[in-house]
Amino acid sequence: MTGESGMENIGLPDLTVNGVSDAVGGKYGNVRIDGVIKVVGDIEAQSFKLNGVIRTTGNVKSESFECDGTLKVAGSLRASHMRMNGLVNVEGALSGERLLLNGLLTIKGDCEYEHLEGEGGFDVDGLLNAGSINLKLQGRGKAREIGVESLYIRQGAKSLWSKVWKWLFPRFSPELRAGVIEGDDIDVEYTKADVIRGNRVVIGKGSVIGRVEYRSELKVLPGATIGERVKIGD
Amino acid sequence: MDRDLISKKELLDTTGISYGQLYRWKRKQLIPEEWFIRKSTFTGQETFFPKDLILARIDKIVNMKDDLSLDQVAGKLSPMLMDYELRKAAFAERNIVSQVVINQFAGKDPDHTVYSFEMLLYFYVIDKLLQTGEMTMEEGERLLTVLRDHFPKFEGKPCDLIFIRKMGVSSFMLVSSDAHLYFDNGIKVVAKLPMVELIEQLRGKLI
Repeated sequence: MTGESGMENIGLPDLTVNGVSDAVGGKYGNVRIDGVIKVVGDIEAQSFKLNGVIRTTGNVKSESFECDGTLKVAGSLRASHMRMNGLVNVEGALSGERLLLNGLLTIKGDCEYEHLEGEGGFDVDGLLNAGSINLKLQGRGKAREIGVESLYIRQGAKSLWSKVWKWLFPRFSPELRAGVIEGDDIDVEYTKADVIRGNRVVIGKGSVIGRVEYRSELKVLPGATIGERVKIGD
Repeated sequence: MDRDLISKKELLDTTGISYGQLYRWKRKQLIPEEWFIRKSTFTGQETFFPKDLILARIDKIVNMKDDLSLDQVAGKLSPMLMDYELRKAAFAERNIVSQVVINQFAGKDPDHTVYSFEMLLYFYVIDKLLQTGEMTMEEGERLLTVLRDHFPKFEGKPCDLIFIRKMGVSSFMLVSSDAHLYFDNGIKVVAKLPMVELIEQLRGKLI
């Protein structure tokens, strides 16, 4: 898991790749990739700095992970501290401690982070499980299931960037879609879900929720539609 | 055998934990992925858990988390083996292993002895090999010693049990599952059993 960095990585070679080529997986200290690169095999490093169009054929593991551009991982990606700008596509699972998202994240498996924040959109085929999620949606946020301690979703402010975002996600309006959302503290707007279950729940404008089950508090703001509200007793 | 399941909602009501805690413990791998059983019900998809396992596990986490961090708690819970214990009398009653094995290998233990999951597993492995007729009782004794002394060292990582014989002399070994082994021609590999599979089988019988 996390604590295994440090000593173990001393003496590992660094990997620097530029241009258009292939890189070989393995264990590295620091990895820096600029250009259009395919990484063959599993790769593990203390830190990654990626710029450009990068694709891996295997799994990726790292303590610190920065990515600008587009990244496609054929396996799973485990990055304790991850910062992304652009598009990231993971065929397997994505997990770590803290994820700063700026762009569009597509995950075929489950996504597990302690803290997830940023701006953009996401599409998680599996379970999105996080300690806290704090996101401004510029595109669609979609997950089969969301399980959290706290969830805070807002529609991103219209800015110069919204043109860029529209270009990235032409078909999708900035809204959250999920089958089930479960958590302690849920505060959402522009959300479409079958069921929301939580302790303290706030449903904001533009939301359509089939059923809300709450324990201590439910606040429904104008412009939200809720099929059924149930207070779960103590 | 039909497992006794508990729905997520019932579980939270019974234990008093919150959704956030449950998901947090899942992220920390305190609750194994396989225990989350998704089923279709008339209200849509619902998640269920094997009742006795999850209740025991949550009880354990709740008790430990006051003194230990969640990462430390995770270290105390083996991902592969369950916190399952069974009294000798109950074990014998359930016919999971033959009476012969219990008499021979657990004969000296009083009826109220509580066996850990690992111990039950050792009996199960021995029973399995005795049933095939490939192993003698004396070899069973030796196998029990090997398992007891060395199986815990794998700390839940997958390993195989290998049983070989050469010129009538037998020997047992435990090797990690990803190892390649090659023997000389005189050696006959009597059995190669992946422990993970045996754990799964036993788990299925116990639940």
